[in-house]
Amino acid sequence: MIRTSLMLVRNFAERETKARYKRSALGWLWSLIKPLVTVAVYSLVFGVIYRAAPPVTANGRAETFALYLFTGLVVWNLFTEVVTGSMQWLQGVSDLRKKIYFPTETVILGGAVSTFLQSVLEAMVLVAIMIGFGNISATVVFLPVALVLVAVFGLGIGFVVSIFNARYRDTEHLVGIVLSVTFFLIPIVFTPDLVPEEAYGLPVRRMMELNPLNAIVAVSRDAVYFLEVPSLSRLATAAGWAAGSFGLGLLYFRRRSMQISEEP
Amino acid sequence: MSASSGSEAAAIAVEGVSKRFRLELDRPGSLKEAILRFGRRDVRDFWVLQDVSLRVRSGSFFGLIGHNGSGKSTLLRLIAGIHRATRGEIRTAGRLSALLELGSGFHPDLTGRENVFLNGAMLGLGRRQMAAAMDEIIEFSGIGEQIDAPVKIYSSGMYVRLGFAVAVNVDPQILLVDEVIAVGDEEFQQKCLRHMDQIRAAGKTVLVVSHDSALIRSLCDEAAWLDHGRLRCVGDPDTVVDRYLDHVASGASDPTLTARD
Repeated sequence: MIRTSLMLVRNFAERETKARYKRSALGWLWSLIKPLVTVAVYSLVFGVIYRAAPPVTANGRAETFALYLFTGLVVWNLFTEVVTGSMQWLQGVSDLRKKIYFPTETVILGGAVSTFLQSVLEAMVLVAIMIGFGNISATVVFLPVALVLVAVFGLGIGFVVSIFNARYRDTEHLVGIVLSVTFFLIPIVFTPDLVPEEAYGLPVRRMMELNPLNAIVAVSRDAVYFLEVPSLSRLATAAGWAAGSFGLGLLYFRRRSMQISEEP
Repeated sequence: MSASSGSEAAAIAVEGVSKRFRLELDRPGSLKEAILRFGRRDVRDFWVLQDVSLRVRSGSFFGLIGHNGSGKSTLLRLIAGIHRATRGEIRTAGRLSALLELGSGFHPDLTGRENVFLNGAMLGLGRRQMAAAMDEIIEFSGIGEQIDAPVKIYSSGMYVRLGFAVAVNVDPQILLVDEVIAVGDEEFQQKCLRHMDQIRAAGKTVLVVSHDSALIRSLCDEAAWLDHGRLRCVGDPDTVVDRYLDHVASGASDPTLTARD
């Protein structure tokens, strides 16, 4: 059973990867070019135009707002790609599933594996730049930890929204909106200290900190920007959310996935 | 002698199976509509199968006949695990491979070769095993170089030929076949039927759904007749087919009716 699932995950992951670079001459190089251009544009906007102040680090070597931003973005991008991808991956096999049985969660897991590998390339670009700035330490091992955590957390949400989306295609649009709002609810394009303790009588800083994604993004910043070992409570919070989301999401998906073959 | 004697090992055991499809008439297509109409859903139940029990002996060829919409294909889909039975239980023993309809189990964007691997994985067969079977599959299907073209450009005949080639070459213990052989050309049909003899000799179990009563008579050891989701009779293929044909000739069956409220 597990063997079959693993083989399917691999098949779907390969398919997703192949589809991504189909008919493109540069192929996977695009996965390097895109993040590099992103950093360049952010450097221009936030370094030259806005002159946003980057958070202070211990060695001060990579105190560039673009790098601060990019560190958070690597994690955030993986999250949104897994969540929105889940809906598309499931939709992509809905006709197939009407004709043959297979453990349907494997298509989402496979898509996530492919997306994860893509974001590893992105993370490697980030690490290479950090090495260039001389801002690197053993804490870098927590970067893959953050990526795994965010992918697993995103999968739990992806499992649920993909089932909704199989019935109501509105889900896709709704999720898109929720994601773009969420992007500004966690400190990615701004630093946490810019957020006031309270606004309109709401403890906004506390609310931001309670967002599970905040903890995961913070792990990646500790790893390659601040070069600090993430606190145990931060890691535990992130891991707890990831495990809880994944477990509940998969449970829900398994209970509902037999209905996919009966959707008209 | 009868299918339900149970003295021999059953490859497929269907026990008291009913299947309800819930059709939401003008079902809300969007969340907005769903919310606006909350609690006022116009849901209608269709019992496609009602209390069906049968046993297919291991190593036998079993035929299912019945009018359009009698529930034959639904029963096959339940056995293949595509749908879950609303009531009752289905047990199968051994690896099951199903040829349910045109291009069953093919992903249109993948090439024939990639689909063969994907299908293999769905049946629990690894790359190495599928790679070993690949030549045989290409040869049997007569697809040739098109094996590396996406299956969406295949003709319906190619779909079926590749589907059949995969289904019989993954070494299944149980093979489910739904009408598909009829889609191929004469030559391929002959090839399939010849292959069926090999499958029989290898002691596999085959469940065939067909309208072709001659095929059921010649191929099967046992047959069952489904009528409006209920099992009318099970037994010797000649007897079952005769009773079915008598019934059709008497004009008693209404081929359009499948719904039961």
